[in-house]
Amino acid sequence: MSDLLKYMVENASIILNYTETHFSLIFSAVIISLLLWIPVGILISRNEKLAGIVLGIANTIFCIPSLALFAVFVTVPFLGLGRSSALLALVLYAMMPMVINVYQGIKIVDKNVIEAAKGMGMNSGQILKEIQFPLAVPVMFAGVRITVVMSTGIAAIAAYIGERNLGRLITEGLTRNNIEMILTGAILVALIAIFFDTVLGAFEKMLVPKGLKIRRSN
Amino acid sequence: MNGVRILDALSRVPQELTIHIIMVVVSLAIAIAVSIPLGVFLTRPRFKKFGVVAMNILNIFQAFPGMAIIALTMPILGLGLKPAIGALVVQALLPIARNTIAGLYGVDSSIKEAAQGMGMSEGRILKEVEVPLALPVILAGIRTSAVYVVSVGTLAAYIGGGGLGNLIITGLNMLWVEFLIVGAGFGALLAIAFDRGLSYVEFRLTPPGFSTK
Repeated sequence: MSDLLKYMVENASIILNYTETHFSLIFSAVIISLLLWIPVGILISRNEKLAGIVLGIANTIFCIPSLALFAVFVTVPFLGLGRSSALLALVLYAMMPMVINVYQGIKIVDKNVIEAAKGMGMNSGQILKEIQFPLAVPVMFAGVRITVVMSTGIAAIAAYIGERNLGRLITEGLTRNNIEMILTGAILVALIAIFFDTVLGAFEKMLVPKGLKIRRSN
Repeated sequence: MNGVRILDALSRVPQELTIHIIMVVVSLAIAIAVSIPLGVFLTRPRFKKFGVVAMNILNIFQAFPGMAIIALTMPILGLGLKPAIGALVVQALLPIARNTIAGLYGVDSSIKEAAQGMGMSEGRILKEVEVPLALPVILAGIRTSAVYVVSVGTLAAYIGGGGLGNLIITGLNMLWVEFLIVGAGFGALLAIAFDRGLSYVEFRLTPPGFSTK
């Protein structure tokens, strides 16, 4: 235990540096996923045929082992080793939780509410913008939470394709058989993931409108 | 692309694929054998308090990255196939236990009361009412676990577990595209095969009136 603390203190600057890269990779991946997958989710909520295809693709991508997906992107000439491969893989993994939650969030909006809006003379664009989207926000946010937590773990694996982040402590530690190094990397990655999960989970509960909270718990 | 290397990579596939499948199936079997009884135990009325606590702990650990589990296993269990299976069991336990608890909690209490009213004993209610109704949820947990385990199984090669990860590691270390594609391709196919296969089982075992999705 004291060895572990000693290692952490001695290498604080590297660890901090790696943590920073870790966060920046997660951050870019989440931002791109939001910009890309929310519109896709909205689009497929209005077209059932497309929804089947897109959700099937998302599900299939999600199944691919992360090391395998990284490995495939490394072989693509203009991606190669490093950040662009890692980013693309993370964005593709985010497709499943993001698209499905946006889609379901919009789909589970009470039909009576939509009927009422129609009765008030709203067109479908207005219904989407003013009713379905706001009511879907808590479910969408759940997708964002899953994406962030998942990216934290998968980003560590990107260390094998040249990302200099906390995963590197694990990969290098395994190669050098340096147990303190492995533990530092693994514990930090796990703590960050649990931290994100807890904080975003608390935030998610706050986002649910009061009236909906009661119905969901049943 | 190099034809000789492709053949070389392909010739290693049967052996690595077998190890990978053994790794996945063994760790899933152990995880199922441990976590379903655990889930049943924790949802009995007497232990309900523990059930809620356990659920919260499992939810926290759900966020635990697979690579961290693999990395933490090495200092404790060492290198080789058995430690790799140990890590995969830990990885597979959580979704199954979580879904078992959620599935059993989800059974309508009025159905359980009806069964009680019919004079069924607690054991029979569990066996004939609760478990069959919770089965789709439990199976969904097993499916999630299977996909995780195949995925994390490729990382297990780094702690000497072998399997398809070996091909990917060779490919990454030597920058041999052929090994990367063969290893990654079979890894992906295996995960998708498990996912589709288990989702078919799930579909077949769901009671007809129960499938609302």
